Amino acid sequence: MNREATPGTPRKAAKAMSVPTKRARHRQSLDKRKARAGWLFVLPFVLVFVLVYVPIIADSINYSFNDIVIRKGGGYTLQWVGFQNYSDALFTDANFVPTLTSGIQKLIFDIPAIVIFSLFMAILLNQKMRGRAVFRAIFFVPVILATGLIEEIDLSNTMTSYMESSGINMGGDTAAASQIMSAVDFQNLFSNMKLGEELVDYVVGIVNNIYDVVNRSGVQMLVFLAGLQSISPAIYESCAIEGATAWETFWKVTFPMISPMILVNAVYTVIDSFTSASNTVMSYISVVYKEAGGTTLSAAMSWMYFLLVILVISIVAAILSAFVFYQRRDS
Amino acid sequence: MNSAELKKEKKSLFSSKKQKDEKIRVEFDRTDWKDRWKIRLKTGSFIVNIVWRIFRFILLLGISYVVIFPFISKIFGSFMSPQDLVDVSVKLIPKYPTLNIYRAIIAENYYFAAFTNTAILSLSCALIQMLTCSFVGYGLAKFKFRGVKLIFFLVVFTMVVPHETLQLAMFMKFRYFDIFGIYRFLMDNIPAIRGKYAYINLINTFWPLGILSFGGLAFKNGLYIFVMRQFFKGVPDELEEAAYVDGSGPIKTFFRIILPISRPMMITIFLFAFSWQWTDTFYTNMFFTSQGLYLMPDIVSVPESLNSTTFVAQALYNSAITNTCGLMIIIPLIIVYCFCQKFLVQGIERSGIVG
Repeated sequence: MNREATPGTPRKAAKAMSVPTKRARHRQSLDKRKARAGWLFVLPFVLVFVLVYVPIIADSINYSFNDIVIRKGGGYTLQWVGFQNYSDALFTDANFVPTLTSGIQKLIFDIPAIVIFSLFMAILLNQKMRGRAVFRAIFFVPVILATGLIEEIDLSNTMTSYMESSGINMGGDTAAASQIMSAVDFQNLFSNMKLGEELVDYVVGIVNNIYDVVNRSGVQMLVFLAGLQSISPAIYESCAIEGATAWETFWKVTFPMISPMILVNAVYTVIDSFTSASNTVMSYISVVYKEAGGTTLSAAMSWMYFLLVILVISIVAAILSAFVFYQRRDS
Repeated sequence: MNSAELKKEKKSLFSSKKQKDEKIRVEFDRTDWKDRWKIRLKTGSFIVNIVWRIFRFILLLGISYVVIFPFISKIFGSFMSPQDLVDVSVKLIPKYPTLNIYRAIIAENYYFAAFTNTAILSLSCALIQMLTCSFVGYGLAKFKFRGVKLIFFLVVFTMVVPHETLQLAMFMKFRYFDIFGIYRFLMDNIPAIRGKYAYINLINTFWPLGILSFGGLAFKNGLYIFVMRQFFKGVPDELEEAAYVDGSGPIKTFFRIILPISRPMMITIFLFAFSWQWTDTFYTNMFFTSQGLYLMPDIVSVPESLNSTTFVAQALYNSAITNTCGLMIIIPLIIVYCFCQKFLVQGIERSGIVG
């Protein structure tokens, strides 16, 4: 920091440090000024986080241990009930535990499907070809257009189309997929390959829900595309010169370089599944939320679900991070 | 330098410009094309290449079909009349096309009121979110101060905790709005207004979403901040240093230098924020409970004039109607997407999320 300080006894050096030269003082003040500016930039986030978000989190945890009684004159009172809500959700409510287990199971099965699909699609869309821009535009349509409200409408329509098996379909999820290839064909194809029954069911399930998978892998595809773009072309060039095949290049170059993105996408897929309308656990919790007296029960349920999902995320992250390759960068 | 030399230089400049237009040809020994094709055919790289291209094209086309088909079938379905639904020969293209569904939705479902309200809400939220997220992202990327890592961790934390978990607490917070009990304390202790103690009710106003957007805590804002931070990390420091040397402060630098170059990224964020707010149901259902204020989720219902209890295929007709509602909701999004989609890929590609 202070280059002019002559080497001498430690005390002398400390003294020299404590009396800053003009240059050092100026630089320090610039650093300070920059630090202040940094705080200014993050101020909106910090302000609202401390004033609104932290109380919301605290309240949410608090509510899950209480009963809420809305007073007639306005306002509300809390009644401490301890772990009553949690035990109610686990032992009294007959539907919660089965919904929870099946929801978590579905989540675990969805992660590889979405990650693999989006990686594959990103690699395809990253190749140079005619009409790439058009395909990209089409593939990102669901990210923008098929979320929230539209997803809910689609979901309710598949329910009606189940009830009414008529010749006309109204753009339900499974309709398009079943027109490409019927599930039975697929099942035959796979059962001849002597694979396990569960795996066949799994793949058939994904193919049947291809619309759902495509819909939910838009952001992941974007993340993978960004990752693929950031791989230096020089590496591929040297691979080609060394005579590596495309298959080898993928496993030795693309896959390790993209592996951090796989971790990111796996975690993102889990988080994203919370907001998806097809999430059965969340929709069950929102049903409970609307019931009379179920408000704090729903808080307890969603915290339990959240903790379970965090557990899943950390397990997935722990497994994946063993395979993640981080390129050393000099920064 | 005398004038003659200058003229010469000018001449050479002009001539080089002329040369640019012509193609540069380089002569070198190349293998005869017959030999090249022979080798290609022998090694099979040609055939593999062709087969791969065809396979890729068909695959992409097929999945594009999966993505596009629901929209197409919804568009055709929206023009169907009840006769079409009973007619077995009608698969996709209606025989008796009408605009009845559109008319009924506009007339009975308060479409335009919902449209204007949602437009105001989404536009303002998206603008605020875009600015806040780039602000916070810039602060996290370019400034070293104590606590910067903690704040980044908090951003990731807000990204991980879903708002669905906080639903009840969030509703109560804005229903009985108060900051650390300060408002209540003031109301209880100032004699002039004691007794007129009432809660601030922000439900059914734009305030809850406005406050959350302002703090970068609304829907998926953690993701936006993260993306913006990664983008700004890739911007070379020399740019700002040059601006600082010229005497411009950090904020002026941000607005004059950084914002113009990060336009594709910001448009991407805006596109996401706008369209996700536009089709959002979670926040609108939670924060807007009154019947008077129409927003997009409110128009998804079957108009009275089209609802009949005697019609055989009423369930099918209902789904056609709700699909039409969905189409009418996303019309502005389609228009926005057509204009912005090239920025979407551009912005993400340049962001270098890998860091």
